Amino acid sequence: MADELPQPDESAGAGREIVISAPPPAAPEPAIGQPPTRQISELPKDELSHLAESLGLDATRFKTQQHLVAAVHERRQLIAGMDRQAMLDVVRWGRRPVTVNASKEQIAQEIARIRSMKFGGISHRGLMALALLRGLEATEEDPAPRIVRRLRRQEGFFSRLNRKRRAILGGMVASIVGEKDSTADYKFLPDPNAGDGNPGSAGSVKPESIRDAIEESGLFGGISNRIKKGADQYLNQKLDEIEARIDRKLDEIDRRLAEWRDKEIANRIKILKITLWASVIVGIFSLIYAYVTEVFFK
Amino acid sequence: MHVDFFDFFRYVLGTVVSIYATVVTLQSLYGWYVYLSGQGRYYSLMRRYIMLQGLRLRIKAFGGDTLICILLTVAMILLLRAHQLVARMDPFAHSDGRRIATTR
Repeated sequence: MADELPQPDESAGAGREIVISAPPPAAPEPAIGQPPTRQISELPKDELSHLAESLGLDATRFKTQQHLVAAVHERRQLIAGMDRQAMLDVVRWGRRPVTVNASKEQIAQEIARIRSMKFGGISHRGLMALALLRGLEATEEDPAPRIVRRLRRQEGFFSRLNRKRRAILGGMVASIVGEKDSTADYKFLPDPNAGDGNPGSAGSVKPESIRDAIEESGLFGGISNRIKKGADQYLNQKLDEIEARIDRKLDEIDRRLAEWRDKEIANRIKILKITLWASVIVGIFSLIYAYVTEVFFK
Repeated sequence: MHVDFFDFFRYVLGTVVSIYATVVTLQSLYGWYVYLSGQGRYYSLMRRYIMLQGLRLRIKAFGGDTLICILLTVAMILLLRAHQLVARMDPFAHSDGRRIATTR
């Protein structure tokens, strides 16, 4: 069942597009002159922390940047060696939005965002992949209940308590709002590079070949159109990266502002507390003085 | 007329400081009110951002200190009450209402 591809759903109407072709190979890694570890180590500290957290690592656990770089590199190697279908099983179970031809690292990033602890419906290989990405040791021989037990033990008592509290609250709000659970089958996202780029278009349209392009627009026209398309894609990719970096910087600024705000309020309340302590202590001395003068000297 | 200078100093200082603190607080509140009630996109954004920061406040960060401040305020009030009781106390009265005779 886990190996079946999703079938086109007529009843969905103009809903999500279903990819019905066989999954193409994952996007190849860009050719790089420097080894990946060296590239990671050149990243600024906050970018590196963000990359580590997107891969499911806790950046605060590592004392130095070198340790973090090594951990990120190790995690990337782990992801590269994992079974792609197992990772897609996890994504289907977690209902995360991915395209069928997403790279393993992209899938791993989506899996890292899954915080659910309800393991019903996940395959054994998916459970193993999930355990590995959450930092646990798991092998093919380990039965599913043992892996689940280890995952639950890793969560910790207070986290579990908070999750149960949120579940109760969520249940109450859902019953008030009257929302029913969605039973729709999981569907992959449409491939943004397929067809005319319109995500709402039905079916996957074969991209125009260079022969067709030259037939349409002539030799130089066809080649220049092809080059322009490539340049546009590259530019869009770079713009997306820049936008993502700006968003991350804005989130960082927002987070620091929140920390500063909390610290400022805590400091003001601390000053108030110290003033009140001083007033109470002076008041006690004054009371003792008043009592002594009243009883012994009047 | 017997004037207790310590009490006089205490009451005058308390009155002056209370009036000063009240005036400064009201001035600051009025200034913020005038600023935030401004018209325009900038002021509207500022109002929303302040509300957002208020909603994002986490009590956990300063809840302990706030509780201590409340308890200390209660202690202050109890001390004031104790001062009033001590001031009304008559050390020469028996519990049944008779007075102890003193000779000078």
